[in-house]
Amino acid sequence: MTHPIRSSIPDELQKAGGKLEGVAREIAQRTGIPEAHIYGVGSFFHLLDRPHQKVRVCTGLSCRLAGADEVLKAASEAGLPVESCSCLAGCDVPPAVLRERRVLPAVQVEDVKRAGGDWQRLRSSSPLVAAPHRKDEHWSGSIGPENADPSQLVFDLRGKPNFTGEAYRKAAEMGPEAFFQQLEDSGLQGRGGAGFPAHIKWKGVFQQQETTRYVVLNADEGEPGTFKDREVMLRRPDLVLEGLAIAARMVGAKEVFLYLRGEFEVPWATMESALRRFVDAGTFGDIQFHFHAGHGAYICGEETALLEALEGKRGMPRLKPPFPVEVGLWGKPTLIHNVETIACIPPIVQRGGSWFRELGKTEPGTKLYCISGHVQRPGTYELPLGIDLDELVEAAGGYLGTLKAFSPGGASSGFLPASERNRPLSFQALGEVGSMLGSAGVVVLNETVDMKWAVMQQLEFFEAESCGQCAPCRIGTYYLRDSLDKHMASQPRTESLRHVADTAWQMNEGSICGLGQAAPLPLTTALRHFPEDFER
Amino acid sequence: MTDRSITVNGHPWQAQEGETILEVAARHGVEIPTLCHDPRLKPAGACRTCLVEIDGWRRLAPACATPVTEGMSIVTENERIDRHRKTLLALYMTDHPQSREESERGAPDQLFDMVARYQAPSDWGVLENKRQGRPDDRNPYIQFNPEACILCARCTRYCDEVESVSAITLAQRGSETTIATVDAESLLDTTCEMCGGCIDVCPTGAMAEKIPLVRGDKPERELEKVRTTCNYCGVGCQMDLNVDPDAREGQGKVVKVTSPPVGTTTNDGNLCVKGRFAYDFIDHPDRLTQPLVRGEDGELHPTTWDDALAKAATGLRGVTERHGPDALGFVSSSRCTMEENFLMQKLSRAVFHTNNVHQCAAT
Ligand SMILES: Cc1cc2nc3c(=O)[nH]c(=O)nc-3n(C[C@H](O)[C@H](O)[C@H](O)COP(=O)(O)O)c2cc1C
Ligand code: SF4
Ligand code: SF4
Ligand code: SF4
Ligand code: FES
Repeated sequence: MTHPIRSSIPDELQKAGGKLEGVAREIAQRTGIPEAHIYGVGSFFHLLDRPHQKVRVCTGLSCRLAGADEVLKAASEAGLPVESCSCLAGCDVPPAVLRERRVLPAVQVEDVKRAGGDWQRLRSSSPLVAAPHRKDEHWSGSIGPENADPSQLVFDLRGKPNFTGEAYRKAAEMGPEAFFQQLEDSGLQGRGGAGFPAHIKWKGVFQQQETTRYVVLNADEGEPGTFKDREVMLRRPDLVLEGLAIAARMVGAKEVFLYLRGEFEVPWATMESALRRFVDAGTFGDIQFHFHAGHGAYICGEETALLEALEGKRGMPRLKPPFPVEVGLWGKPTLIHNVETIACIPPIVQRGGSWFRELGKTEPGTKLYCISGHVQRPGTYELPLGIDLDELVEAAGGYLGTLKAFSPGGASSGFLPASERNRPLSFQALGEVGSMLGSAGVVVLNETVDMKWAVMQQLEFFEAESCGQCAPCRIGTYYLRDSLDKHMASQPRTESLRHVADTAWQMNEGSICGLGQAAPLPLTTALRHFPEDFER
Repeated sequence: MTDRSITVNGHPWQAQEGETILEVAARHGVEIPTLCHDPRLKPAGACRTCLVEIDGWRRLAPACATPVTEGMSIVTENERIDRHRKTLLALYMTDHPQSREESERGAPDQLFDMVARYQAPSDWGVLENKRQGRPDDRNPYIQFNPEACILCARCTRYCDEVESVSAITLAQRGSETTIATVDAESLLDTTCEMCGGCIDVCPTGAMAEKIPLVRGDKPERELEKVRTTCNYCGVGCQMDLNVDPDAREGQGKVVKVTSPPVGTTTNDGNLCVKGRFAYDFIDHPDRLTQPLVRGEDGELHPTTWDDALAKAATGLRGVTERHGPDALGFVSSSRCTMEENFLMQKLSRAVFHTNNVHQCAAT
C-alpha cells in the first residue's frame, strides 16, 4: 500500500546525511513537499539536525553516576565530533555512548583514548561486547532474576525464541470476541507508562466503523532509566512480532508500523531478521510490517507525537481527545502499544488471561523492571507486578551504599525517599503518592548523591526534549532549570525557587501532554522529601 | 444540524453539532481569552490561554479546539481557571520583552493587554531569548522579531492553510523553537508571496511590517484607522489605512495598511502584497493627480478632463482613419473593476470596431 509522500521526509533527510544546507530544497524539488516543511522536520530531530556530531555521550542520571562526564571530556579533548545527549536506553550499561546510530555499552575513558581521535574506531571494551563470539553489533544487558521458574514468566528473556506462529494461529481460531475476553481477564495494563487497560483499546479499534485500521509498535523507549524494550527486542523479537500480528488480526488491520528510536540500530537488526523468518515462512498471511526509524526525539514516545513523526511531521503531540483508537495514523483508527505490552500477547493467548493475572503480586502479570544507579547488577528483571524496591534490588544483587532516594518510573516519576522502599512498585500504589510506575525505569541513588544535582540532570533532560509546542512546557522546563541554576549559583541561597510551586502547578494543568505535566516532578518531589539538600 | 443542549456557567444554552466551546461562548458574549486562535485556521490548542473546565474531565480543555457534546457542562470562570490564566501569563512574560515599548515596535502586543486584563504577575524574572531570527533577511516588507514571538504558530498555519504557500515553518524545538524559512533564506528566495498575512495574524507584533519600523513611525496603537476599498484590483478587498494624524504638519499621512478583523468584510482579513504594502503611491511625487496633455513643446501640461478626453479621441480616430481599426489595441489595467473592463471592451469593439482588447491580469 502506498502512503502519503510526506511520511518519507525523515528517511529522505537521513539518506541525504541530515538537514545540511540545500538538502531540504533538493528533497522538495524531487518530491513536491514544501521545502520549509522538510526543513522544519529536519530541525526537530537532533540526529538529523546535527549530523556532523558522530559521537554522543549519554548524560542521563545513571550514566553520569558512572562517569559519563569524564568520557565526554576525554572525547572532546581527543578531538572527536562529540556532544552530550539524552538517555540512550543503556542505563544498565553506563556510560552509554552513541556512535552514529549505534549504542556502545559501558564506554570508558581508555576506549576513547584507544580510538586515537578517529570516531569510526571508537569501540567498547566492555565484557558485554568483548566476548569472542560478539561484535559491537551484538550485545545485550543483564537479565534476571537468577533461577526463575520459566512457567512463572511471561517473557522468559533467557528462553529460546519461538518462530512457530502457534500463538498467532490459536488467536486466529479463537476470533476477536473470545480473545478480547482473555485480554480482559488478563488485566493487562499498558507498559508504556500510562497503565491503561489494553482490552479497552483493542475493542475500541475493533468497533470503529472505519475499516482501514493500523497497528503501531511504540519502540521509542527514551524515558531516562528505561531499557527493557531494548532487551525484549534483542532477546525475544519473536514475542513482539507475533504479538503485533495477533493485534493486527484481532482488530482488523492489514498494516503494522514499527517505530524504533534511531539509536536502536542493534535491536532493529534483530527485529528485522526475526521478521524475515516469519515472513519467509508465510506465518502471518498478508499482514504487512513497516519499520520506521526515530531520529533523536524523546517526545516521539508520546503516542500522538509518534503518529505525527510517522506521518513525516514534527513530533508535536496532538490534542486528546480524540484518541488514536478513533483518530490515529492518517486519521484512521489505530492500536498503539509499547513493546513490552505487545510481547505479553502471545503468552496470554497460549496460557490464558487468568494465568497472566495470577502472576502479579498487587496488580496483574509480571513486569519488566529496569534497575540502574547504585545497585550491584543493573539490568532488566522480570518480577511479579507489585514487588517493592528492596525485593527488586535484592534480585539485582543488593544496594551499593545506603539508599537515599529512588526514582521508581523514569525521570517523569520524580524522586521518592528511602522510607518508600516497601511501597509496591505498581501503577496504583505509586499513583497514590503522586508518583508513577511509568515505564518502571527504577534509578537508585545512595547517600553520596546531592539531590540538587540529581534534579538538575532531570530538568536538563526535559528542557532538551520539550517539543516546544505549548508555553507551559516550553517556557516552564526552561524556567525551572534556570531557577535551579540560579539557586545553586548563589550563596547564601536566595529566593530563586520562589515561583517553582506556581510554575509546576501551571505545567501540570496547562501542558498539552505528559512531558510538560510530569517535568516539574523531580524538582517538586525532591524539594518535598529532601529540603535539607536545597539549603546546603 | 442537530442541536446540542449544553450548560455554560450555569446557563442552559443550545449549540450546534460541531461548534466549539469558544464559538458558543462568543455567540453569547462570554469572554474567553485566546492567542493562537484564528477562525480561518484549524485549531492548534497550543497557546493554552483558552482552557476551561468541563464537568467530568480531569484536565482543563482548550475551548478553541473542543467541540461541544450533548449535555456538556462548562465553566469559564473560577478559581482554578483564574490561577491558570495568571500563572500561564506570568510564564509567558518571563520569555518576552519586558515593556510594551520594547515589544510593540510592530503591531499591538496582545500579551500585555491580557496580562493587564487578568492581573497576572509579570515579575517572575527574565529568561534569555533562545529563538533565532533572520536579521539579515533582505526582503523589503517583513521583519521577524524572535524576542516577542510566543510560538502561537498562527503565522505558519496561515501560510500553510490560507495562502497554501508554506514559506515559513516552526523550526528547532523546546525553548529554541522559532519561526524559520528553509536554510534561513531570505523570504525573497522562498515561495513567499509577500501577502503579509503572517504579520496580520501575529498577536504580539513579532511578525511586523519592516518599512514603518525602519522609518520609525508611531506604534500602530497611536494611528487612526480609516476603512476603505483597495483600488488595486476589482476584488474590492476592504482595508484600513493607518494614518498618522500629525504627519505632514497635521495633514496626516498613511503609514501602514492593515486588514479589517476576520469575519467582518468579504476579504475575511486577507490582503495581497499590493493591498498591504504598496501604499507608497499615495504621497509619491510622481503620482498623477490631474490630466496632462503633451504640448507643441514636447512637455506635459496640466489641462481639464474635457480637453484631455477630446485630445485622446481625436488621436484614436486619426489612427483608425489612417491605418484601419486593427491598428489600435486596448489594454485595461488590473485595477479596473469588472464593469470597467466591460466598458473597455465595448469601447474597443462597438466604438472602434477592433477585437484587439486585453486586460493585464488576464494571462
Ligand atoms: C512524554 C512521553 C513519552 C513517552 N514515551 C514512551 C515510550 O518511549 N515508549 C512507550 O511505549 N510509551 C511512551 N509513552 C506512552 C505513550 O504515549 C502511550 O501511552 C503508550 O505507547 C501506549 O502503549 P501501552 O498501552 O502499551 O502502554 C510516553 C508518553 C509520554 C507522555
Ligand atoms: S507538554 Fe511539552 S512536549 Fe508536550 S506538547 Fe507541550 S511543549 Fe510539547
Ligand atoms: S507573507 Fe504570506 S506567503 Fe509570505 S510567509 Fe507571510 S503568510 Fe507566507
Ligand atoms: S511570529 Fe507571531 S504569529 Fe508567528 S508564532 Fe510568533 S507570535 Fe505567533
Ligand atoms: S486559543 Fe485555544 S489554545 Fe490558543
